[in-house]
Amino acid sequence: METDTILSWKSVPQTEALKVFAQRNPSFVSRYSGEQDQFGFDMEAFALWEPFFRFLYEEYFRVTVVGIENIPAEGPGILVGNHSGLLPVDAAMMAVAMCHIHKSPRRIRYLVTDWFFSTPMLGKWVLQMGQVRASLENARALIDREELIGIYPEGIRGVGKPFRERYRCLDFHPGFVQLALATQTPLIPVATIGGDEIYPEFVNLKSIAHVLGMPFFPVTPSFPWLPFPLMLFPLPVRWVMHVHKPIDLGYPPEKASDRKLVHRLAREIQYEIQRDLNSMFKERRHLFTSPDGEEI
Amino acid sequence: MSQFLSNYRDFLKQSGKSDNYHGFDLRVLARVEPFLSFIYHDWWRVEFTGLEKIPREGAGLIVGNSGSFLPWPALMLLYALMSSRTNPRRVHFVADLDWIADERLHAFLLEMGFVPFSSNNMKRLFAKGELVAIFPEGTAGLTRNFANRGRLNEFDWVKLLPAVEEGVSIFPLATLGCDEATPVLTNLESLAKLLHLPAFPITPFFPWLPFPFNLASLPTKWQMSLLKPLSYDVAVERDKVEETVMKQSQFAEGEIQAELNRLLRQQWRHQG
Repeated sequence: METDTILSWKSVPQTEALKVFAQRNPSFVSRYSGEQDQFGFDMEAFALWEPFFRFLYEEYFRVTVVGIENIPAEGPGILVGNHSGLLPVDAAMMAVAMCHIHKSPRRIRYLVTDWFFSTPMLGKWVLQMGQVRASLENARALIDREELIGIYPEGIRGVGKPFRERYRCLDFHPGFVQLALATQTPLIPVATIGGDEIYPEFVNLKSIAHVLGMPFFPVTPSFPWLPFPLMLFPLPVRWVMHVHKPIDLGYPPEKASDRKLVHRLAREIQYEIQRDLNSMFKERRHLFTSPDGEEI
Repeated sequence: MSQFLSNYRDFLKQSGKSDNYHGFDLRVLARVEPFLSFIYHDWWRVEFTGLEKIPREGAGLIVGNSGSFLPWPALMLLYALMSSRTNPRRVHFVADLDWIADERLHAFLLEMGFVPFSSNNMKRLFAKGELVAIFPEGTAGLTRNFANRGRLNEFDWVKLLPAVEEGVSIFPLATLGCDEATPVLTNLESLAKLLHLPAFPITPFFPWLPFPFNLASLPTKWQMSLLKPLSYDVAVERDKVEETVMKQSQFAEGEIQAELNRLLRQQWRHQG
């Protein structure tokens, strides 16, 4: 008995965290704890990290999510959004919202770029949190299992936008429309404001990024200057996320190979998100306190 | 005048039989042409791309983003189209002119080729095969704050209704630089109401300097790019038509915004 606890010292806080999480959110735990996930979702690790992201969500960024009820309680769906923040925190915030605010808590499986899996430690952790390496087979497998998947079609370029390009969408890669058409899955656009200001990036030193094998090497007020944990601290900007109504594209699956149509549909969804970002950007009065006292 | 006649022979030939029901006057255009030319070539150094997409004949609608209280993007478009070597065309600007109380200003705008906005006017112009331009952001676009530069306001989709009803092709036009040329610091709404103006913007020049100088602008670099026409199905039922118009107006807005984003990125990369 004693040796057992010593050997598995690492799992003690994890089981403890799982108990607390199960008390807090029983339906989420009972929904997902029984099954064996082929992509490596780990409920214990998720429970361990969940309080940290919930702290970010509730206390630090004080995220306001509008329209979470537009995400279906059952069945597959593809969440499409504008990417922001140097670290992709927006995915984590959406996952927390889905896990705590939605009336039937679900997990969102975000499709993650390959860069995370070439970095030691990070790749395994990302999988444990329920994210999936981005590939068409993985996405189709998830949709077959009626999961919610999340895609940021701007890709990793969208994360490293300089500060003055904030909330200006890059052109969406049309793969998500192809996937939605082929599997007849509804698309759910999500517009996020706040994420591009948490790490104001002034310069992107591409040559250093190239040497280090990183997608970008930002210079922010804190980034390369401060010692390790301090340089990763984001600014406490207030976030607003708008979840739009699910879009049924209304074309048969054969149309997935019609490149012109797919391109056009991808643009339409990009423009819808961009329009919402523009109006949110104009409505917001104060960076750090805005939605308080304003009706959104 | 004779200089103008020889320089713009093709334009005159093309616009000779065009519609001037509202009082378009070539002599006024000839008088302001040197000024427009100076602004276009030397002050803002306008770089116009995509002009070849305009058809040689027939109706068309150009939808653009507005940028300053004075209709500078419209005048730059007018100059670009009339001075084009290959395909000079006249363009009619459809805009709300009812609020202009000053007779001289109103008459001047009509002589430059402005037309009061109405569905009938637009349809008549389309029927005559004229090129029409419209800036459907409304007053919100005229007084866009400097902090929001390059971020469009929502288009008033109703203004595109006549074009879609007639099945005219719609060309989005993105203009970069006008927001920076006259930076609007704030908009005094109460004063605007008092003076019966749609808006009262405060710029570094505007109410402070004596008359001609308060209309001044900064010599920013302008880029205008005309995008390829939107493709849509001409519908017959009323509900279907309105749905198409709304969708097309949103798509045009998105196209313009995406083009602005692209141009801005290009400009910033170029700078450093």
